[in-house]
Amino acid sequence: MARRVAVVGAGMTKFVRRAQETGKELAWEASREALVSCELPLDRIDAVCLTSAPDAFDGVHMKGEYLSDGAGAFGRPYMRTYVGGGSGVFTAIQAYYTVASGMADVVLAVAEEKMSSTQPHPQGAFLTIFDNILERPLGPNLLWIFALEMNRYMTVHGIDKRDIAAVAVKNKRNAADHPAALLGQADITIEDVLASETLAWPVQRLDVSPISDGAVAIVVASEEAAKQITSDPVWIQGVGWNLDTAYWTNRDLVFPEYVANAARMAYGMAGVTEPRKQIHVAEPYDPFDYKELHHLEGLLLFDKGKAPEAARDGVLDRKGDLPSCPSGGLLGVGNPIAAAGLMKLAELFWQLRGEAGARQVPGTPERGVAQAWGDLMQVGTVVVMGREGGPPTTATQLETPPAATPPAATPATSLSDAEFRSATGAVEDEIGAKYAWDAGVAIGRFLDGLREGKILGRECRVCHRVLVPPRMFCERDFRGTDAWVQVENTGVVQTFSICNVRWDMQPLDEPELPAVISIDGSNGGFLHTLGEVKPDEVTIGMKVEAVWKPVGERRGSILDIAYFRPRTDG
Amino acid sequence: MLEKIARPEEIRRWDGDMPVRHRYTPGVAGDAFFTALKDRGVLLGSRCEHCSYTFVPARLFCERCFAELAADTEVGPGGELVSFTIVFVGIEGEPLESPRTIGAVRLDGADAVVIHRVLEPGEEPLEIGERVEVVVRPDTQRTGSVLDIEGFRVGG
Repeated sequence: MARRVAVVGAGMTKFVRRAQETGKELAWEASREALVSCELPLDRIDAVCLTSAPDAFDGVHMKGEYLSDGAGAFGRPYMRTYVGGGSGVFTAIQAYYTVASGMADVVLAVAEEKMSSTQPHPQGAFLTIFDNILERPLGPNLLWIFALEMNRYMTVHGIDKRDIAAVAVKNKRNAADHPAALLGQADITIEDVLASETLAWPVQRLDVSPISDGAVAIVVASEEAAKQITSDPVWIQGVGWNLDTAYWTNRDLVFPEYVANAARMAYGMAGVTEPRKQIHVAEPYDPFDYKELHHLEGLLLFDKGKAPEAARDGVLDRKGDLPSCPSGGLLGVGNPIAAAGLMKLAELFWQLRGEAGARQVPGTPERGVAQAWGDLMQVGTVVVMGREGGPPTTATQLETPPAATPPAATPATSLSDAEFRSATGAVEDEIGAKYAWDAGVAIGRFLDGLREGKILGRECRVCHRVLVPPRMFCERDFRGTDAWVQVENTGVVQTFSICNVRWDMQPLDEPELPAVISIDGSNGGFLHTLGEVKPDEVTIGMKVEAVWKPVGERRGSILDIAYFRPRTDG
Repeated sequence: MLEKIARPEEIRRWDGDMPVRHRYTPGVAGDAFFTALKDRGVLLGSRCEHCSYTFVPARLFCERCFAELAADTEVGPGGELVSFTIVFVGIEGEPLESPRTIGAVRLDGADAVVIHRVLEPGEEPLEIGERVEVVVRPDTQRTGSVLDIEGFRVGG
């Protein structure tokens, strides 16, 4: 039987655009604040769980080892976990099972990210999450994934962009009450969001969370230790995590099944049978405004396609029926990736203790859910936290005025770009590594097919899917696929974007039209670009056909298909 | 399932990179360390009285007890050679024109050990435990870099 586990302390740095502190120093500041918040010396910590997103952000290989001293790991059991954007919530799950299993009584969980180190833009590090052979030659940038998902979500459910923009407004307004926030703005309006620069339609500048530096830490303890440390522990009632397919174009872009699976796991552990009644405050992952809505539906807190109405009607406001991101979320507080996820647990800790000051949601919430999302955009990580004993007796009975809005101390020093460029002792360098990727068996044959003007798939005769691009094994049935199949040169646009920027956010001369296309005769989607069509004439559901390069110019590349165009045969 | 590749030239490789550079700023303690090195030609460490340990370069915190530290302790310029190596090949495995000697040194007043070049070790073989001294470049040549330290000179 797993032991009960509680969160007993939390701390964080300010989230800033460019921190003067090194990653180690940020980690230490957040860790120290977490320990101070529950009056624990470092020597009471039995083990340390750390997370940080790609090494390429900080430009430090083996970032876990690099950050260990700032996380208090000296002389302790220590492990970095990493599930991309889902990392911040996952490190709390790691801390949970480290304590629940009896391996440790008191654990420090730390999340750090320093994205300002990456030049010219952190998106450069994201480029290699695309398939280097089948997707990168198309010149993708990370916004494509979000824009394509957002467009399909909006189109399938008939969602008004204003209702999505309401999320950005809510979160930036909420963040105005957060002492550590980077982008709090009390007077922002939906019109401001809708008037911001279009990056990759339908994604506009203010739909997106900012690049940030920062760190967050929480202290997690067994029941026995928690009761010694505080009269007011917040219990981790349930944890869940789940992966969808690694092929993002094969996923349901409308509903995040991986979040729903993770939520079911966490709710099951927590005994939550009716989440809409039993969850009183939510901190879903909001790197983009539509993502918060997507995730609220994945968390089973709204019917599919209904979360945008809730945003419009104020249900998600701090004083609404289901306060969502009362912290201000990634859109308002900031998005130092791993740290932003753990910030959501810190917020639930403060909210459920009734200590959230100016951000406190009314009605003494008893249970909340935090969620993050990441990896190759297919992991959902969920934690349910609760008080179980009703409102905090100490907080409500105190005659003294409420404490200042947490976090109590918010170290981290923000540098201007000029200070960042001229800092004494600073060094600029590059890893300088070059890679050579082999196409492998299935993709090698697929590329041979393209040179011959054929689109080839592999058939699995158990799940009856034809996989394009092909794989030699079926991830669902975990067996070898059975046969090569030539599929059609035609397909249907599942979703598309009109992208105005390169990966480094420099403007493009001509917009690009990335699209997920389901090839006739196959299952699942396929990333390519559209041509011979005006951007405003593209629709989801449009029938398209491959336009091949002349035979002599084909070289066995995804670019042997120049683009897809509207079908000329009607 | 696997197909044997008879002609290696048929292997299809896709070359690429990760197009990022990094700008590393030295942080709070690093700022104090490099400013002192550049302006005064001295090496600053941080003393943790609780742990009786002096870190160098300076640090913002003690990794052992988590106390906040200041860049308050000048160390060196003399020190003890804790270990050394003689490097004959470069980063790509190419032979160096002349071998380079790298030393690990515990500077006087410090507990932590730092790494730098050993300058012209001379005819006599180096010995672990012998005295060395930091050589700092003249102030006109200092930029606030670890290369403001030229290296360790044997003796002193």
